[in-house]
Amino acid sequence: MRYLSSIIVAALVACATFAVASDGSVGTVKTVNGSASIVRGQSSLPAVVNERIFQGDTLRTGPDGSLGVILKDDTSLSLGPNSVVVVEQFLFAPAEGKLSLVTRMLKGTAVYISGIIAKLSPQSVRFETPNATIGIRGTRFLVKVDED
Amino acid sequence: MKASSVVLACGVCLVFLTSCASSKKSLFVLQSDPDGKTGEIVVANGAGSQALTRAGDATEVKDANTPPSAPFRVEEAEIAKTFGPAMAARPAPPGFYLLYFRTGSANLTAESEKVITEILQGIQARQSTDIRVVGHTDRVGTREGNYRLGLDRALRVKAILISKGVDPAIIEVESHGKDNPLIPNQDQVPEPRNRRVEVTIR
Repeated sequence: MRYLSSIIVAALVACATFAVASDGSVGTVKTVNGSASIVRGQSSLPAVVNERIFQGDTLRTGPDGSLGVILKDDTSLSLGPNSVVVVEQFLFAPAEGKLSLVTRMLKGTAVYISGIIAKLSPQSVRFETPNATIGIRGTRFLVKVDED
Repeated sequence: MKASSVVLACGVCLVFLTSCASSKKSLFVLQSDPDGKTGEIVVANGAGSQALTRAGDATEVKDANTPPSAPFRVEEAEIAKTFGPAMAARPAPPGFYLLYFRTGSANLTAESEKVITEILQGIQARQSTDIRVVGHTDRVGTREGNYRLGLDRALRVKAILISKGVDPAIIEVESHGKDNPLIPNQDQVPEPRNRRVEVTIR
C-alpha cells in the first residue's frame, strides 16, 4: 500500500514536471475593483482574484471598474475604468528561446510594467493602440487611449 | 488582369488607410521602474516614431497619419487624475527568491533552508496561486546531466513547498540546467552562486 502511494506521488510529480503551465494559462488576475470581466470567445466571465488568463482573452472594465493582472513572465498590467485590452499573443519558454508578447489596447487607461520577455528579447514585445505601436525596452509606462 | 490587380491593390490600400485613420488619440508616459531604473519606449506609427528615455516624458499620437509628438512633460497632478485608478489596481510585484545547493546535489545549503520560511510568507501575503520554480546548475559537467540536476533541484524545492501545505497544482517547475548562469563564467568552472533554484511568487 505504501509502495502504491509512493508510486502515485512519483507519477504526480513526474506529470507536474512536464506540465509547465499545464492549464495553458498565460497569467492571473491579482486585483479587481468594481465591474471587470474577461471575454473569452463568446463568453464573458466576471473577473475575480486568482482567475486564470489565456491567450486571446479580452480584459474589460466598466465605468467604476479596475483590474490588475500578472502574466507568466512577470509583466504587470493594470487597467483603469472603461478600458479594453486584448492579450493577443503570449509565448514564454525561455529554455527553448520561444518568447513573444503582444497586447492591444482599444480604449481606456493602463499601467504597464514589462517582465522577463522584455529583458531577454525586447524585440519580441509589442503593445498596440489603435494608432500606434509601442516597442518596450524594459520599463514602466502609462498609456491612455481616448474613445472615438 | 493587370488593371484588376491594381484596382484590387488600391482597394486594399484604401481599406487599410481607412482602418488606420482612427481618431482615438493616445497618450504615453514613461516612468521609472519599481527598482528605480528607467528603460525606454519607442512609440511608432506609419507617420513616424518617437523614443521616450527620461522618466516623466510623454508623447501623444493624434491619429494614425500624424507622427507621435515631440516629448513633453505631464504634471504629476494630471497623471494622478488620469491614471489614479489604474495605478491603484497595480498588483503587488512578484516575490523573487534564490535558494542555493551543495555541489552536484539537490540538497539545500543551511542558509537557504531559512529562505523557505520567507517563501511561504510571500505565498501567504499574495494569496498566490501562481508559483514558478526554476532549477539551475553551475557549468561543470554535461548539458544533459545538468538539465537533470537542475530539474532535481527544482523538484526538491517543489516537494518541500508541498510538504508545507502548498497546493501542487499552483507550482510550475522547469530546468535551465547550465544554460542560464547567474554569474557568467567559463565552461567547467565551479561556481556556487550558479547552483540555485529561482522561485517567483505572483
